[in-house]
Amino acid sequence: MRRLTKLSAVAAVAALALAGCGGSDSKGGGGDKPAAGDDVCKTADGDGPKIGLAYDVGGRGDRSFNDSAYAGLEKAVGEFDATCIEGEATDGEAESAREDRLRNMAENGATAIVGVGFAYSESVNAVAPDFPEVNFAVIDGFDPDDQANENVAYLGFAEQEGSFLVGVAAAEKSKSGTIGFVGGVNNELIQKFEAGYTAGAKAAKPDIKVEVAYIQESDLKGFGDPAGGKAAAAGEFDKGADVVYHAAGGSGSGVFDAAVEAGEGNWAIGVDSDQYLTATAEQKPFILTSMLKRVDVATYDFAKSVDAGKPLTSFVTYDLKQDGVGYSTANKTAIDGLTTTIDDYKAKIIAGDIKVPTKP
Amino acid sequence: MSAATAQRSTIVERLTKSWLYIGLIGIGVVSFVRIITDTDDLTGAGTIRAAIIATCPILAAALGGLWAERAGVVNIGLEGQMILGTWGAAFFTYHYGPWVGILGAALLGLVGGLLHAIATVTFGVDHIVSGVAINLIGAGAATYLAEAVFPEYEGGGPRQLNGLEAPAQVTIPGVSDLANTISDQHWFFVSDVASVIQALTTNISTLSLLIFALVIISALVLWRTSFGLRLRSCGENPQAAETLGVNVYLYKYVAVLISGALAGIGGGFLALVASSGFSTGQTGGRGYIGLAAMIFGNWRPGGLLAGALTFGYTDSLRLRDTQSVHSLLLLVAIGLLMFAAWRACRKQVKGALVVAAAGALVMAWFLLTDSVPREFTVMTPYVTTMFVLALGSQRLRMPAADGKSYRRGSAG
Repeated sequence: MRRLTKLSAVAAVAALALAGCGGSDSKGGGGDKPAAGDDVCKTADGDGPKIGLAYDVGGRGDRSFNDSAYAGLEKAVGEFDATCIEGEATDGEAESAREDRLRNMAENGATAIVGVGFAYSESVNAVAPDFPEVNFAVIDGFDPDDQANENVAYLGFAEQEGSFLVGVAAAEKSKSGTIGFVGGVNNELIQKFEAGYTAGAKAAKPDIKVEVAYIQESDLKGFGDPAGGKAAAAGEFDKGADVVYHAAGGSGSGVFDAAVEAGEGNWAIGVDSDQYLTATAEQKPFILTSMLKRVDVATYDFAKSVDAGKPLTSFVTYDLKQDGVGYSTANKTAIDGLTTTIDDYKAKIIAGDIKVPTKP
Repeated sequence: MSAATAQRSTIVERLTKSWLYIGLIGIGVVSFVRIITDTDDLTGAGTIRAAIIATCPILAAALGGLWAERAGVVNIGLEGQMILGTWGAAFFTYHYGPWVGILGAALLGLVGGLLHAIATVTFGVDHIVSGVAINLIGAGAATYLAEAVFPEYEGGGPRQLNGLEAPAQVTIPGVSDLANTISDQHWFFVSDVASVIQALTTNISTLSLLIFALVIISALVLWRTSFGLRLRSCGENPQAAETLGVNVYLYKYVAVLISGALAGIGGGFLALVASSGFSTGQTGGRGYIGLAAMIFGNWRPGGLLAGALTFGYTDSLRLRDTQSVHSLLLLVAIGLLMFAAWRACRKQVKGALVVAAAGALVMAWFLLTDSVPREFTVMTPYVTTMFVLALGSQRLRMPAADGKSYRRGSAG
């Protein structure tokens, strides 16, 4: 029995060590990442504000959220003569590791700190009260308690408006009169995507049919299940849909696979970042467009507000008007004929002629 | 000699006959429900194809569980070995193509199995404790390896590697087209069989076929060879096996290594066929489901196949069409009522009444509602699999020495 206890302790420690060391190593190897060679934070030495950027898992080189945030940072550094420091989260890290990262930045003189991703909401809430002179922002963030922090901004996006535009694109592109939507988890956030998408499609073609599927009802693993995404999307393609939009995070690659298998004339629409750029060569021709969340715009805008001495606080929503959401035109041959129609709707939403619903 | 042969052939005949009847009745009932409820998706070729894809990884994991537990080692590390398999498949496929990739998946799973074997067989660690550790190690190691290796690859990132080449797909031209035509007619019975044939002959992955073949191979090896007999004896009574000169440690090692490799192949299937790439956390607990399918399948190949198929079918059905889950209620109700009738025929009055009551309840649910609430649809695969297998296998019997630690010389 003693031996058993000892061994299981060794096994448990080994497991924890292995699970934990992913991050430290990747920081060491950060120089190998495609875009990390010319890090603006290493060369910037202006006397403007010091911006701290705390990345979500993946860090720079993910060609998604984190890279987009970096693009905003780069612009801000160039424009405001600022300096910056960066830090990166690792998969499955403890809440305290995030807090330490933020604290470290604040103690090193950062005056504007951006946490990329809602996962920073709790840690910012814990750290912000200790540094009242520092301004914090959380991309996609929420306030975990009912005590408002005066130096924290929660930068959200009007996902329904971006989804509306890709809904228009889907309806215009569809020849069968049926389009599809695959959500990762059936929660309020993802329902915003569905609502906007459906509204956009119906606005463009009132008699269009929208097939809706969610991979999970409440379990967050629905965002990391490509096999489930593929099965759900394949079901919609089988039911006659020829354009499928996904808001399913990592499960989305399965949706693209399903479009590839459905063959020419079928399309998939990406989400969050321009997924045409990150998709595989085989998937690329099938990606009609992507609904963009402009994390770069939000990051830049927050830095700008701090530089101007009027830091953003509380909840800020980036919508079409601020260019906070949008759609991608990277797959030119696919989207070319549709942009005028989509831009018409965009103008109408900005003008307030169309109110996009947030609930399906 | 001749008498024994004759007896064996009647057993085989009887078994195949009863399976044939059950199969025919099953298809008939499904077809009936499809027509009554007007949900063609219930047996559409697309659904069957999705069901096969959803079944395969669970089936591979369940098979892995079968091998280990038949040798007396409980392997709840299947999930971890599966995760290792997803990474192995991605790494080796990227460099050497899909078939080496599958071998790589098996290899990484085997490494997980080796850890489990060392802990449980050599050191006598509690099987559950070791299994939990394997699951943690598997998840941690795959995350670490992915972050360390994949970002430099084309299509790779710290948490994924996309665009992997899939193993070849097979289509049998004439049969596939003919089956397609027939299944499109939506005739009673005939079209349902046709869609199954269509799914099996159109773009089916060779890896799916391999995994189904592995079920048959496992059954033959474990129950029709002396090697299999010795291996199972290690799970039933290792002391007795030892007194007969069986090297119990060796057999347990072999069984757990094969177990890990099979789970790894299941992970490889997820990365190569069910989607086109590796991503962390993509196994989503399928290893545990495989283990459950194996247990409800009464530690038998046929049983675990039924469990994995039921789960795969209902899971893909609810993903494809939430409405069809409602039709599934009718199917379950009819199944329960038929089962009750069968029990009544065998004069098991009490059991028959319980099952009939359950059947009536489900039937009432079907008749009184138009749809199943979304919150319930995710549970469908779990609930249905439990129903089917709990009723199908009333008397579960695990290998007698399963999960027990064995020391050489303990036979005295």
